[in-house]
Amino acid sequence: MKIPTGVPGLDRMLHGGLIPQRPYIVSGPLGSGKTTMLMQFLLEGIAGGERALFVALDEPPNEIRANMRSFRWDIGDIEVLDANSDIRRFEPTPIVEISDEQEPLKFREVAEDIRKTPEVESHEVTVHSLQQLLKTLLRKRDYARVAIDSMSGLRYFCMRDFEEDVATQSFMRFLTEEKVTALLTVETAGETDVPPESFLARGEVRLHRVRDDSGIRRFVSIQKFKGSSHEEMIYPMEITEKGLVVQTAVAVAP
Amino acid sequence: MMDRISSGVDGLDKMLRGGLIPGRPYIVTGPSGSGKSILAMHFILDGLRGGEACMLVALDEPPSEIKVNMATFGWNLDQLTTLDATPDIKAHKKKNIIDVGTSLDVRGMEAVQDVRKSSQLRTLEVTVHSVQKMIKQSSRDLRERSKTQYTRVVIDSMSALKRFSLKGEDVRILVQSFLRFLSELEVTTLLVSNPLDPSTIDSEFLLSRGEILLHKWIDGNNVRRAISIERMRGTAFDDRLRPLTIGPQGITVFPNATITARGELSHSIDRPFLEARSADDVNARLDEVLASLEAVQAVEGETSVAEAALFRAMVAMNRKRYEEAVRHLITARTRLSEELRLHDAARRAEAKRA
Repeated sequence: MKIPTGVPGLDRMLHGGLIPQRPYIVSGPLGSGKTTMLMQFLLEGIAGGERALFVALDEPPNEIRANMRSFRWDIGDIEVLDANSDIRRFEPTPIVEISDEQEPLKFREVAEDIRKTPEVESHEVTVHSLQQLLKTLLRKRDYARVAIDSMSGLRYFCMRDFEEDVATQSFMRFLTEEKVTALLTVETAGETDVPPESFLARGEVRLHRVRDDSGIRRFVSIQKFKGSSHEEMIYPMEITEKGLVVQTAVAVAP
Repeated sequence: MMDRISSGVDGLDKMLRGGLIPGRPYIVTGPSGSGKSILAMHFILDGLRGGEACMLVALDEPPSEIKVNMATFGWNLDQLTTLDATPDIKAHKKKNIIDVGTSLDVRGMEAVQDVRKSSQLRTLEVTVHSVQKMIKQSSRDLRERSKTQYTRVVIDSMSALKRFSLKGEDVRILVQSFLRFLSELEVTTLLVSNPLDPSTIDSEFLLSRGEILLHKWIDGNNVRRAISIERMRGTAFDDRLRPLTIGPQGITVFPNATITARGELSHSIDRPFLEARSADDVNARLDEVLASLEAVQAVEGETSVAEAALFRAMVAMNRKRYEEAVRHLITARTRLSEELRLHDAARRAEAKRA
């Protein structure tokens, strides 16, 4: 049994969709459409009556909400967990890790303005606190789909240099054990960049972005999909008012 | 449609479908001499003309030079608040080094005269932290004085700010916190940044909400210039390359003209995919090793040497050193096969005894 991704054309490339309850990564350069793909994935779940959670690490939820207005979507029912760290205090005020009692909000309840750093203490998101928090949430609520935007943010800002590899591995493993269908975005620095997360994920959807005289052209390919066959070709993709659309009629040779 | 804030260049505003979304940080990048600082100054000037409070954090050039350079365009920057964060000459003797933050040096451009001389007694040290502290202090002063807030900030350049801050601190986290700080101030920020090293992702690129790229190349005897928007969150934008000129009035962008870029812009999708093939080879071997690893673990065999080799292979792979990765994987594979063989032999011997 496979589940749809919510991106027109992508399910055909995946020969029917994603195998549920596994973590997958969506990789690609900045501005290639990764966040948009996550939203479509969660919206698809909402449309099917599932609970869906967006974990925001790179941008505050109010901005994500504002950004998604350019699409004709109602993301109001998607729940969002604000995992943006506060401003660092350089004075000796307490730095507190986000607690495992923080509750996600629905996007429709997200305030217009940014959450401000309190004067007395600042909250820091670490991979450990986030993992703990997610664990509590996944046990308590029945999320069928989880999107993490981004793994790169988690690596860069919530882990110490020395623990990067081990912590990433443990985080991916945690998602596997929680048996939730998760999409994680990973920024790639170049076409050949193979992020370490791709070894640990059960599949990798790679977004490509090429500039030529007609502007920016986008493509998508499946780099890996454990337990299923998939298309090997690269397909063109467009960002429309309805989000990402893969043109499966024309393939580009790899 | 969200409110927009003008970039200060008409043609660019057209490309942006009205301007930048306010309150967010954006990257301006491009090779040296492509006009990054001038573009940032257009953005500041537009704010000053509208009576907004603007701040320039000067890290690459001292404000005195900026003042002279921008005078060639006939621009009056007197109302601009500038934070002179060009570091002092390092005194290589045992003297007090103080944080810039503890010696507030925010001035109106009007008051900028000569190069600030390094103090004989103590030198200023620039860090992300000290710059943040100064902006905070200055914005607090502004609020108390005139009940207004800064709306536009330019950091020229982000690359310099990070360079000065390399003091064993985790720069990525400092930059994240700094950008968060600017977001909470609700200012629209242009971060002038040197082009990205293609093999790494700098934190400010990861966290910025958009990226404007300036191009410059030599075509015969002419210098050609162009501008492109590489990404912009929350809005559609013109994604084509548009010609740009720098004249007596500053930057002009021609949003209806087209230009064909030469050189590094013509990317191809082919070459990377040849490399991706070698990556696939490594991947296949990796799967093999993982399978034998599980087999050895199942019989409680010794796996630490193989695991170490596996880890090295993954690091090598991540650095795109495919051959090295294959070598480590072969080591791991051999070690695991050996372990399985030993285990089998021991089991057979045991069976014989029984």
